[in-house]
Order: sequence, then C-alpha cells, then structure tokens
Amino acid sequence: MLHRDYLGEFEHIVVLALLRLGERAYGVTVRQEIETRTRREVSIGAIYATLARLAEKGYVKSRLGDPTPERGGRSKRFYQVTAKGMAAVNRTHRAFHSMSEGLHLVERYS
Amino acid sequence: MSQAFVKPPPRIAAWLVDLFAPGEHAESITGDLLEEFSDLAAKSGVASARHWYWRQTMKAIAHLVSAGFRGAPWTILGTVLGGYVLLAFCGSWPERAIVSVLQFRRHHVTPYYTWPQFQAYLFWLNNGILMGRLLISMLIGCIVALAAKEREMVSTMALSCLLLLVPFGMRLVQPASHGAEEPFLQPDLVFVFGNSIMIFMGGAIVRKNRSAAARRRSSA
Repeated sequence: MLHRDYLGEFEHIVVLALLRLGERAYGVTVRQEIETRTRREVSIGAIYATLARLAEKGYVKSRLGDPTPERGGRSKRFYQVTAKGMAAVNRTHRAFHSMSEGLHLVERYS
Repeated sequence: MSQAFVKPPPRIAAWLVDLFAPGEHAESITGDLLEEFSDLAAKSGVASARHWYWRQTMKAIAHLVSAGFRGAPWTILGTVLGGYVLLAFCGSWPERAIVSVLQFRRHHVTPYYTWPQFQAYLFWLNNGILMGRLLISMLIGCIVALAAKEREMVSTMALSCLLLLVPFGMRLVQPASHGAEEPFLQPDLVFVFGNSIMIFMGGAIVRKNRSAAARRRSSA
C-alpha cells in the first residue's frame, strides 16, 4: 500500500464534510460543518487549499453553480467526492479503526 | 444566507484575497467570504463581521501562499532567483542612462547652466535615478509574475522578501565583523523597501490583468 493512498488528517475531515453535505457542499457549508462538528476555527483558505489538493489527486470533483446576488454576482463551486476519493476515505478509515481497535481511547483518555 | 449584504467588506482585505487566490478559485473564495460576511454583519454587526473578514483574509493568504509554494517549489525558486539576477544585472541601468544623458547635455548642449537648469539637473540626478530604479523593479516584478504563471503573487512576494532579507542580513553581520557604528536604517535600506514594494506591485498588476482576462473569457 502506497503512502499517497491515505488521506491526511485535514483532508480526511474535509472529505467527510463533503459526504455529510452531499449536494450542498461548497466552501461556506464545508467550513461551517467542520467548525460546528470539530469546534475549531477553520479558514476558507485552508478549505480551498485542501480541496485543490484533493482535486489534483482525483479524490473530489467540482462544478460551478449559478451566480447569486448575495455573493456579489459570484458563483458557488460545489464539490463532490469521486469513487477514487471514496476508496481513499475508506482505506484511511479502516487504517484508523485497525490501529485504534482494542485501545478503548474514549474510556481511557476522556 | 439569502439576505442582501448591508455593507461591503473591507476593501483592502477583499483586494488581497482576490490577489492571492488561485485563478480558478478566486471567484468562489471571494464569493464565499462575501456571503459569510453578509450573514455575520446581519447577525452580529458590521464591526464584528469586518474583524472576522480580516482574520479570514490573513489566514486564507497564509494557506494559499504555503499551498502555492508546495504546489510548484521549483518554478517559484527559479523565478525568484531569475528575478534576483535580473535585478542585479539591470538595477543600475536607469542610473547609467540618466547620468549619460545629463553628461551629454552638459558637454554638448548647454555647457553653462543657469540656476533653473542647474536645479533641473539636480532633480534628474536625484529623483530621476530613484524613479528609474523603482520602475525597473516594477518591470522585473511583472516579468517574474509572468514567468510564475498562476503563482504570480507567491513568486513576487518571495523575491520582495529576499531583497529585504539580504541587505538587512548583511547589515546585521557587518557591524559585528567590521565594528562599524553607522545608523542601522541607512537611506539605501529605505530604498530597498521601495524596491520590494514595487516588485510586489508588478506582480499585482500582472495578477489583476490575468484575473480580468479570465473573467472576460468566462463571461463571453
């Protein structure tokens, strides 16, 4: 198994946010979803830098929406996880699960 | 997310985001920030929203610059070093050109200056050289930005920082080795600041022109 087949920590979080949001996944909703669930402040720059990296690897794809007045006539860019991205998130998830299995982290450290 | 925004976001912050955001993402990033700014301004007030916008801008620029570096480190290194060599090679051209013209004028056109002519001579000798060198810096900033393709601002910013760091570093080392007791902020160091700003401006000009061209293409 190659190292590049796994997702980094923040890449993993972003892909999970995309999966949760489905059709509504664009910069604002992804940022807010991550902030709400992880309770950490995330910059829009970090989201886009990560999404660009994921798109380069072929894990996500994007399409432009229609321009809207509340965005000053600018379009939203909607993101979607590809089959290759799904495989990568599953692999990463399995690796985490396998490594943490039997450690009872929640009981021990919470 | 549907209400129209009450006030525009901080202009300089919006300009900076547009400058540093990569071409294909510039529209989405500025649109996302504007959308959230409008929401926040309606909920918590404009002052709080402006503060949030500035914080997001600074963080976004840091992320976009570091992503730009990681994405094409050799392109950036090549353009920065190329720009530095170009500046070392062409930096003195305006000085030489202006001095040559002034010398020619003095020897062949007007050997004896009147007081206003002498003042004009001094003006060109002092300010003309300065303006010429600043213009050359801006031109080199444009060339570096053109060569850096989508990473114009990362390259020109890196070159600006390099230009600032080299003389400051030498100034820090020199007193230790030679025991010089000169003031730290010499006029040439103040000039270096001007040079760096002009290189950055050259990058900004290329970036803005490319963004405008991309917008024209997408709207056509």
